[in-house]
Amino acid sequence: MCYVACREIEINAVVVSPTAKHLLEIDERCSYPQCTVCLMYCPAEGSIVETDSGRSMVPPPPEVWTENRRWPRLP
Amino acid sequence: MHLILREFLDKWVYPTGFTGPGVEFRLRQTERCLPLWDKLVNQAIESAEKDLASGSDEYKAARARGGYAAEGPFMSLKQMSTQILSVEIGEQPQYIDLQRMRARQIWDEVKHGQLHADVLLRGGFIKREEELMNDARANTQPKLSYFGMTAMFPHIHPLARAGQHYYNESMACLGIAATLSVIDDDLIRHQLHSQSAEELMHFMEGKYQIDAYALTPEDQKPIEEVFDFLLRPWAPEPSRALGGTA
Repeated sequence: MCYVACREIEINAVVVSPTAKHLLEIDERCSYPQCTVCLMYCPAEGSIVETDSGRSMVPPPPEVWTENRRWPRLP
Repeated sequence: MHLILREFLDKWVYPTGFTGPGVEFRLRQTERCLPLWDKLVNQAIESAEKDLASGSDEYKAARARGGYAAEGPFMSLKQMSTQILSVEIGEQPQYIDLQRMRARQIWDEVKHGQLHADVLLRGGFIKREEELMNDARANTQPKLSYFGMTAMFPHIHPLARAGQHYYNESMACLGIAATLSVIDDDLIRHQLHSQSAEELMHFMEGKYQIDAYALTPEDQKPIEEVFDFLLRPWAPEPSRALGGTA
């Protein structure tokens, strides 16, 4: 789900790796921590880790989904 | 509210990636779901405790046969194809990601059926999976509103499926968590752990579809109608749904 959310806002920073394991990879287009939209739709606990601190971002900690970190979605 | 539900809400339901009418709509529907989600957790715990107190291993086979019937190859192919057909050819560019996830769910659910078959095989209840073809208990399930809603709920809108993903797949997650809190049998735990992340992914499909796409009253209406259907007390009981009293 994280790659779908990322694509929906036209950032496309999450890609499916061509390896046999089909890992999801995040490239330089990712603007975290400005954007955190992917985190709220990733179901695999512990699957996204903050590089600097090493802490898991899934499930998303409260500070990443404050109002100013969320993408407005209008009809 | 049971702690298992509270933790599920805080981890997976309330965090949102978007603002807007889709999120607001989802949170309104969530309020409607809460009493039944809570009831489900308590019932799953009671059921697991009753199974443990039975003094027999039959509960493992009964759970696995029921699971095979509900999400084995037959039910999975039948029901997952229904959700794919809800998106017409012309709508595919808009909803292609949803179509991909739904196509993947066919495989997911068939795999879940194999997990149940594995319990029956490794538990010594059957010798070969083919034996299940002769057992009606492994091939019938009575719930109208179970994940495919069988034919009782027409998938008339590409987003209608989101209501089912959100309501029923969350119940799968909650039921698994509740059962794992009680049953320590290796066979059961292996099956449930193998299944839990997948169920959560299907719940996330519903959450994402509503947050990202259910932005207008026209798109919200068919989803709300799914919740209207699923939240009716007779939804899991076909005889009452079809006019009977039993």
